Amino acid sequence: MIRFDGAAKRHPDGTVAVAGLDLEVPAGRITVLVGPSGCGKTTILRMVNRMVEPTSGRVLLDDTDVTRLPAAKLRRGIGYVIQQAGLFPHRRVIDNIATVPYLLGWERKKARARAAELLELVGLAPETAKRYPFQLSGGQQQRVGVARALAADPPVLLMDEPFSAVDPVVRAGLQEELLRLQGELNKTVLFVTHDIEEAVRLGDQVVVLREHGLIAQLADPHTLLTAPADESVAAFLGRDRGLRGLGLRSAAGVAVRPLTDTSQYGSWDLTREAEGRPANWLAPDGSTHPAPAFHPGTDTLRTALDAAVLSVAGLAVAVGPDGRAVGTADRAAVLAALADDRDRPVSTHGR
Amino acid sequence: MNWTNWTGWISTFFTDPARRSGPDSIANRVGEHLTLCGEALFWSALLAIPLGLLIGYTGRGAVAVTALTGVARALPTLGLVTLAVLLAGVGDTAVLVPLIALAAPPLLVATVEGIRGTDPDLRDAARGIGLTHRQVLCQVCLPAALPTLIAGLRTATVQVIATATVAAYVGLGGLGRYVIDGLATRNFPSTVGGALLVVLLAVAAQLFFSLLLRYGLPPGLRAQRAASRRSGGTRR
Repeated sequence: MIRFDGAAKRHPDGTVAVAGLDLEVPAGRITVLVGPSGCGKTTILRMVNRMVEPTSGRVLLDDTDVTRLPAAKLRRGIGYVIQQAGLFPHRRVIDNIATVPYLLGWERKKARARAAELLELVGLAPETAKRYPFQLSGGQQQRVGVARALAADPPVLLMDEPFSAVDPVVRAGLQEELLRLQGELNKTVLFVTHDIEEAVRLGDQVVVLREHGLIAQLADPHTLLTAPADESVAAFLGRDRGLRGLGLRSAAGVAVRPLTDTSQYGSWDLTREAEGRPANWLAPDGSTHPAPAFHPGTDTLRTALDAAVLSVAGLAVAVGPDGRAVGTADRAAVLAALADDRDRPVSTHGR
Repeated sequence: MNWTNWTGWISTFFTDPARRSGPDSIANRVGEHLTLCGEALFWSALLAIPLGLLIGYTGRGAVAVTALTGVARALPTLGLVTLAVLLAGVGDTAVLVPLIALAAPPLLVATVEGIRGTDPDLRDAARGIGLTHRQVLCQVCLPAALPTLIAGLRTATVQVIATATVAAYVGLGGLGRYVIDGLATRNFPSTVGGALLVVLLAVAAQLFFSLLLRYGLPPGLRAQRAASRRSGGTRR
């Protein structure tokens, strides 16, 4: 657990970065600091590993003041991931990952074996080990960055906008991967982002900050989206926060009609591929249109609604875990699930 | 005087039996020349590189370095030799001091620039995962500075090889003997041949360091260098 106890940072020129923060970051969960640029979120994060020393107040790591330990020793016990990955360009991926174990004096063989384990854990192919950072894509570099942070198995992970520099598709993949990893490892994660979408997606608890590191609201993502503390938080969350809130609720409640029930198809017909995956909606004139699908078991209501809205036939195709079409749901069915589900938030993390 | 007789002079110079053995042989003079250059470069590196590492890493004194090197470049080497002879008497020191004054500034600048050119995010990440300052300097900044450092060493080496001919002025050996003795005795084959040898040696040094930069760097750095060159980066 990390505890900020009136931690403040004033620059020598008198400007205040963080006015004085009291915050508990619970162990084994993801806490996201989110706010506009200049709100002090990175400064707050960097107080934990003493990259920034508070000018007053304290930061406690498991009830020990972080200033008690020599900075380098403290940092070797805390995973640190930054936006540009910060990999050593002259070292192979495997040795980049093994950096902290080397610093801790592990034997070369043991450190490399551990690094190879982590390479697999973050979803990179074993042959990546021998590559140099410049030979990797941005997303792969970030994965290596995460692996390096985890190499010595630190209980705490600090992540400073780690996924901001990659494109949205890769970012979504990395976010999913982080949630999967967290499901296995249960680290105490402090995550900084300016992207509210990312905050809501990843956080068990989200801390919305305003300038000088003042807490505007501290809540779980569902509460944040449905009950913002004030106008400024609501504005920061954006206008479609209600819709985005659907992204936190499971699509399991949507009533799906079996494929045999074609009463709602109207003049449309659903074609399927040989393996049973949905292919297209077939119009009477013979033209084909995409058939958007959702997976009731793992997708959110947002995905289900999206599929229903996008479908020319007005029907979202429900698919099973193997990708086979199992049924259809019309827009009314998805809306009914919305109403049913209103008071029952379901985290997509399954935690 | 026959200005077209270059080839004649050069062949006279190279076919002279004195060039093959004895104190005035090419092998001996090249050896003397390279020893002198090596000594000058060794002391320059010993002086400039640690200082450059310190200044480049802390960022303190970088302005002073720029000013100092500007002044050092303006120093006339021959004047320095004379001064050194007056102060220290005839001997190695009298030549080494001016050569060090010549070689140390580009090495210092290259080291400072190389270290300062290290990606700040990289330094930050290195500190953040628990490297000490010394480890950041040795394991992160020094490798990052290596291409710039080698380029600086190349400049210094070529200049020292060309300038070490002044050793002959104070009675020391090296390729300058051919040039200066040739001038003194109006023996043009000797002057031209000596000058040619100096040029060849300098070109060889230039080539050696260029190849080292191209093929001798660790792969990660080589690629980075190529990338920064392609994008017109400021790293030399």
